[in-house]
Amino acid sequence: MIGRSILRGPRPGEAGAFLLVVIIAVAVIAAFPLFWMVLSSLKTPAESMQTPPVWFPSTPNLDAFSEVAEVIDARRSFLNSFIIATTTTAGILITSLMAGYAFAKYRFGGRDWLFALVIATMFLPPIVTLIPLYRLVTSMGFNASLVGVIVPHLANAFGIFLMRQFIAGVPDDLIDAARVDGASELRIVLSVVAPAVAPALAALALFAFVYHWNTYLWPLTVLQGNTDGYPIVLSLGRLLSYNRGAMNTGLVMAGATLAVLPPLVLFVFLQRFFVDSIVGAGVKG
Amino acid sequence: MLTPAVSVIAVFIFVPMALTIWLSFHEWSTQTGFGAARYVGLRNYEDLFGPISVGRDFQRAFLNTANYTALSVLIILPLSVLFGLMVHQRRVAGGHVLRAILFSTYMVPMIAVALVWSKLYSPTEGPINQVLSWIGIGPQPWLSSPDTALFSIVILNVWQQIGYFTVLVIAGLTQISPSLYEAARIDGANRIQEFFGVTLPLLRRTLLFSAVIAVINAVQVFEPVALITQGGPANATNVLTFHIRRVGIERAQGGLGSAMAVMLMLSLIVIIALLFATARQKEER
Repeated sequence: MIGRSILRGPRPGEAGAFLLVVIIAVAVIAAFPLFWMVLSSLKTPAESMQTPPVWFPSTPNLDAFSEVAEVIDARRSFLNSFIIATTTTAGILITSLMAGYAFAKYRFGGRDWLFALVIATMFLPPIVTLIPLYRLVTSMGFNASLVGVIVPHLANAFGIFLMRQFIAGVPDDLIDAARVDGASELRIVLSVVAPAVAPALAALALFAFVYHWNTYLWPLTVLQGNTDGYPIVLSLGRLLSYNRGAMNTGLVMAGATLAVLPPLVLFVFLQRFFVDSIVGAGVKG
Repeated sequence: MLTPAVSVIAVFIFVPMALTIWLSFHEWSTQTGFGAARYVGLRNYEDLFGPISVGRDFQRAFLNTANYTALSVLIILPLSVLFGLMVHQRRVAGGHVLRAILFSTYMVPMIAVALVWSKLYSPTEGPINQVLSWIGIGPQPWLSSPDTALFSIVILNVWQQIGYFTVLVIAGLTQISPSLYEAARIDGANRIQEFFGVTLPLLRRTLLFSAVIAVINAVQVFEPVALITQGGPANATNVLTFHIRRVGIERAQGGLGSAMAVMLMLSLIVIIALLFATARQKEER
């Protein structure tokens, strides 16, 4: 056996086994933090503080979860997150669909120039405009409210880009036929273009929902400590300062588990859409 | 058709962008209206590069961000190619499961990532030092030492984002024609020559895109710093997004914060231009 390996190199089977071991190792390491998060949320406070750490809770319990609900208004936080993520997503879908249609199918002076300008904002980190944006939204009277969290994000470059890429592939004949039938442009967008790019719209909806469920910097800045408006990710931050140190491990992990669930559940059921849209946007771009 | 999207982007991105540049030449408290800004010429910029504490803090934050970004990109790119190949290969099963696990971490809100990893890193109650001790490595200070804190945040960021970049690489790999590999094999290339002669050159566009996105994502790191380290210990994790927000919003020094934001934007433009130039140069060869 050994002689054979030296003479001919490893047999395909051996290389395959090695590869499989590496794949399993990477998967285990990648999954470990979430696994640890769930385990820790089920431990008693005493177990969380032990050195060296205990891996498996002796009496798994949900006490930490009910404590989370007491410390932060979990129901309210979830509702806020849900309102922010769904309304922002709905806005993005509409504005991206309309603008994507215009950029893909209309001819007008300065079109490519305007498109390039819009796309450039995709590469702009939010912090660059944060200070004046904060002042602007405050002077509009939207500060410390959900409106202020939502309104600035009702359109974005990624959505417009994605929609333009996919709408460009919708046959002009289909659109012209609807025009001949006397349909308004808005009607065409909603009942001809939208169904034709439905998978891309679904993907955009998922991305927008997860992004705005998870986003932290802007809500933190605009809500100015108005905890009634806090989405779950901001309330989680408050959990950490509550009862600092190792004491709060179970509490923090339970809160993190709750916040992770909605985006993760969406992903588990709709994984194909996420992956296909990244691949699709890249290949078409 | 364009009005809704373009007006949102104009009011909440273009206008604040112009204001950021304008404010950087002014002394202005973020708590007052834009009209209260007082023109000071280049003084904000002189302060940023001066030897006073404002300048020292900014320069440290800039350097930290540069290190953080370079480390992130240098780890993410090779790792995404490695993982991409592991998912793309058809020799052993498990590729799809690996892709799902890697990408699922991309759905986890950064705030939860920060909280979970702060517990994983815990020097005494955390499982990472425990596992290291099993293989004979002594306890590491992770987030609590100035020498290791920034790198510790890089690792948790890589963990969260690697799935996205892996999917980009997979998309790139599916675009490579199998006939190129056959041709290489006929020429007698081994697997390593195949990788450097076929795979890597044809992934160049994908990797350029990945590098640009990785840079833009890296400068946005905020939650782990804001929540866990507060920029410490000893300013080791004070990165620009955190620092600009602290100066421009919390300390209300809007002009100074805007000057920092402009410096960040200029640096990004230079880096992205350099990335494109290097990629083009290689393509011409």
